[in-house]
Amino acid sequence: MARRDLMARRSRTQRRQLLWGLAFAAPWLIGFAVFIAWPIIASAYYSLTNFNLFQSPQFVGTANYRAMAADPVFWKSLQNTLYLTAVGVPLTLLLSLGCALVLNLPVRGQPLYRALVYLPTIVPVVVTGYLWRWLLNVQYGYVDRILALMHLPQPDWLENPSWGTQAVLLVTLWTVGGPTIIYLAALKNVPRELYEAARVDGAGAVARFRHITWPTISPVTLFQVVVSVIAYLQIFTQPYLLAQDHLNSSSGGPGNSMLSYSMYLFQNAFVYLKMGYASAMAWVLFVVTMAVTAVVLVTSRRWVHYGSR
Amino acid sequence: MKKLSGRSRALRATACLAATAAVTAMAAGCGNGAAATSGGRTTVTFDYLWTGTEAQKLQQIIAQFNASQKQIKVVGVSNPDMQKQLASMSSSNGSFDISDNFGNNVGSWAAKGILAPLNSYMQSAGMSTGDFIQAAMDEVTYKGQVYSLPIAVHDFELVYNKTEFAAAGISSPPVTMQQLATDIGKLTKVNSSGQITQLGLGNPDTGTTLTTLGYAFGGTWDGPHNDTPSPQDPGNLAALNFYTKNITDKYGASNVAKFTAGWGQYGSPQDPFYTGKVAMIIDGEWQPVMISQNAPHLDWGVTDIPYPANDPALKGTTQLTASTLFIPANAPNKQAAFTFLKYLTSPSAMLKFSLALGNLPARTSLLDNPAFNSIPHFSVWLQALKSPNVHTLASQPYSQQYSTDLAAALNSALLGSTSPVKALAGVASQAKSYGTP
Repeated sequence: MARRDLMARRSRTQRRQLLWGLAFAAPWLIGFAVFIAWPIIASAYYSLTNFNLFQSPQFVGTANYRAMAADPVFWKSLQNTLYLTAVGVPLTLLLSLGCALVLNLPVRGQPLYRALVYLPTIVPVVVTGYLWRWLLNVQYGYVDRILALMHLPQPDWLENPSWGTQAVLLVTLWTVGGPTIIYLAALKNVPRELYEAARVDGAGAVARFRHITWPTISPVTLFQVVVSVIAYLQIFTQPYLLAQDHLNSSSGGPGNSMLSYSMYLFQNAFVYLKMGYASAMAWVLFVVTMAVTAVVLVTSRRWVHYGSR
Repeated sequence: MKKLSGRSRALRATACLAATAAVTAMAAGCGNGAAATSGGRTTVTFDYLWTGTEAQKLQQIIAQFNASQKQIKVVGVSNPDMQKQLASMSSSNGSFDISDNFGNNVGSWAAKGILAPLNSYMQSAGMSTGDFIQAAMDEVTYKGQVYSLPIAVHDFELVYNKTEFAAAGISSPPVTMQQLATDIGKLTKVNSSGQITQLGLGNPDTGTTLTTLGYAFGGTWDGPHNDTPSPQDPGNLAALNFYTKNITDKYGASNVAKFTAGWGQYGSPQDPFYTGKVAMIIDGEWQPVMISQNAPHLDWGVTDIPYPANDPALKGTTQLTASTLFIPANAPNKQAAFTFLKYLTSPSAMLKFSLALGNLPARTSLLDNPAFNSIPHFSVWLQALKSPNVHTLASQPYSQQYSTDLAAALNSALLGSTSPVKALAGVASQAKSYGTP
């Protein structure tokens, strides 16, 4: 009897604590439900409708998905985005790791160099975008002037369809300061005694990097790959700013070479008011992102090493 | 009943507060935009896209209306963000009663139920549209209903630099397309390295320049009834061929792109037409005011868009666009907003507005008003509105997407990425899907 009373009291206490906990968490829970969970569920439904934001959605089944398959601009935007991801992610990792290795060297003034590398990341992206529009200008931009000094070809970055995507890539790579800092923190965590032991065994710099540094920081690399893949698949601001020719315009740059998937999604949603089509595009992007991330995670078992295992 | 301890009461109060705050925050987003009054007068919110000097002049007209009114008070708000304008119109209760946009959006917005139809208000007020320029009224009418009224119109003519003409030995501006082609050749300069230093015909906006040229070659961009995309019309193709043959193919698409990349901002003192980098442009009636502000010493002239020598019936061709005023379907004070809309589009207010902004009036009765003589060369744009060859791009649900696709295709043709035939065929192919979700 006493035990039953005790259990009932415990149960009441737990229920009360649960209710209080839920009450405290209510702002976040309601915010999540209304602003994140519900829009996600709603977008799945809207992707099966003809919806323009102002009138009731009309159910059209899979028509939006079929229209996507026949839309050349959709394929162009997807092609641009996949290209940016395929080239941008390895380059981002390579550059940030290279910078981190250099910034990890024991040289004078290192804090200043680290700050300089990170600086572009804290500059607002709109400022960076417009600065690069000027730097990449074929008539008076400094990038082509420097290339000319080096006797290299000077591309029409912002006017030539063949160079539009490369310009986006260049502007995006300018902000590798974030991944660099993460790599730098990872490098600091590599145990020094491993390097010392390797050195005693006669391992050179390349061998030490290959057999100690790379495996030790591989969990961080996995994180960087996943985050970078998602960022590149959703890239919007940099190409939008580079391609914009005047206020409120919806340009994709020369030959739509700068039109990213997210830009085209934005055009459909907020310029053409095709919310149903845009929702379908959002779900395709979600599926593609999940698929690519899953592939990365599955293959990571072969190249990611966790010290505790 | 067990009493709560002080700590428990505080905890419970905090938890309740948190939950209440969350619900209150949610409810705050569902505010009611009911009709507002101020000192017994109905407040009409006029949310307009104009900014800077133009907005200041508009505020003066609003102040004059308010001074004449005992029932209505108009509050003008400059808000150049079109996305915000659209977002506001998507809620059940709008945040403004009247606003402005370009006429080419009317069809799309009317089809989606964004705009309030004006016919019943106009009938009640005994307002006729007979004095408005017909092409402008066509643009603001969708399926027989008027959804917007033009406050100003714009048309496009050939603006030229007289100093450069004299330097090239050209005594008069071109009248035919053949003469235009010859003059482009004379006015385009290439240095010893093969780089362009001056372009005969510039291009402030690819879409506008080429669609206007399309009309000038007898083409149509929206079919015979102005309601279906017709990018492959022979006149349109002739226009694109004319431009590529005389400019991009002749001097090299890459060279032209490289030259245009160095142009200063449009409408600034660095505008290539003002600095002499470009000798001719096809542009609107706002140029006299802009030139006086940015290049007061420029010796310039303006003439009709040339026509093909073998088709003199196309003389006086121009493209018209309209600045329009509309009442959103979710406006809280539609009747009061219409009273203000009627005032703004009345001949006296429209005259003040057009003169202040340097825009063309949307009423035919104002086209010969001597007040416009104060604006240099303005009469050329004014008189062009009397031509039977005034065209407008259709204002249909597909117009926005068509305009984007057309601009991308025309740019590709000018960059040499694709031929004019393929570029226009590509748009025709894309246009087939405009009716789908």
